[in-house]
Amino acid sequence: MPVVTVQPGGQQVPIGDGETVLEGLFRAGYAYTVGCRRGGCGICKADLRRGSVSYRKTVASTVLTEAERADGTCLTCRAVPDGDVTIALRTGPLRRSNPFLAITSS
Amino acid sequence: MPLSGVMRLGYVHARVTDLTDAKSHYGNTMGLYPVHEETGKVYYKGWDEHDHHSVVLEEGGVGLVKLGFKVADPGDIETIEAAARAFGCMSERMSVGENIEVSDGLRIVTPSEHVIEIYHGMTGVGTEVGTHNPDVFPRHLVGVGVPRIDHALITAADVKEMDRFFAEVLGFYATERVVTSLDEDAEYIGTWMTAGNTVHDIAVISGPNGKLHHFAFELLDWSEIKRAGQLFSMDDVSIDIGPTQHGITRGETIYFFDPSGNRNEVFAGGYTAYPDRPTVNWTVDQLGKGIFYIQRELNERFTTVLT
Repeated sequence: MPVVTVQPGGQQVPIGDGETVLEGLFRAGYAYTVGCRRGGCGICKADLRRGSVSYRKTVASTVLTEAERADGTCLTCRAVPDGDVTIALRTGPLRRSNPFLAITSS
Repeated sequence: MPLSGVMRLGYVHARVTDLTDAKSHYGNTMGLYPVHEETGKVYYKGWDEHDHHSVVLEEGGVGLVKLGFKVADPGDIETIEAAARAFGCMSERMSVGENIEVSDGLRIVTPSEHVIEIYHGMTGVGTEVGTHNPDVFPRHLVGVGVPRIDHALITAADVKEMDRFFAEVLGFYATERVVTSLDEDAEYIGTWMTAGNTVHDIAVISGPNGKLHHFAFELLDWSEIKRAGQLFSMDDVSIDIGPTQHGITRGETIYFFDPSGNRNEVFAGGYTAYPDRPTVNWTVDQLGKGIFYIQRELNERFTTVLT
């Protein structure tokens, strides 16, 4: 299972095989600022600091441009980690939406 | 009825990133009826719509390709063409067959850079209950089983100009507006406009030109809205907000996203509009209550998520 490290805050969250970064973080009881969750709006973009991600579903070039792909922008609702990755959220640290889950998994 | 003869929003033509995922959503979850498919495109209608299609999905990108508005009479095309010219909009005639099963008409680029098409005819395929001693709904509806398309909300840099465009070129009137002040010369942050008696056929809010905020399907009432929400949970549809009620229009609603991130709405209720009913004005400080009457605050997504 790939592990995503999320800055700022440094939480380490295992992501299921084939799961997107967004799906994995929400499943683990975390939340952050997202939009459509379906690759259409770009609100959930983060910066990829380490590792690489793949896009298994088509992402519109108007949402994630070639330049953004090259500069390490990661569309978290569509990005599937290739291995361990580190991302930096652009809207502040992860929030716990399900604190009970966060306690039992740590 | 307005002089221009526009009857309703007839079709929404949108872009989707993946046609297979889109078909699962619009066909299986929303319960639209597929009426035609060709490479990279699929056409749908709701069960209570008589015309050939009301939704066209095209693979490649996200957002809006164009909106179609149906007029009652072929002569209306000429009236609207003259009005568009007087307004200073770019327009061109379109021929029969440019859109499958759609008549000749007029294509206009709005001041907000959206493309709208005015047409007077579309091949009639009939509602799913017919016109001969009809049942009140078709027995084997799929999913939400939406009867028809209702309205669209688009964004524009100059909402006041768009309000004037829909009024002067297409004969719409505003049922509600969000205004910067109650003074005569106030700017508009949003406008909700209709061509007939539904509370809105089109709405425009302040934002970038050319973008789609959402398009909506009609449902009957609050209990149907709830049932739609239950189906969205079963099908893991991404929810924006709801069920809730709008202050503006009084409509009951869920906002949600299709698999490409285009926002959809199921919309029920809303009062009957008449041209002599005074336009309702909302001030910007009450926008939260206007949009989401129960929560009374906007979610971040309302103003930021566009396709």
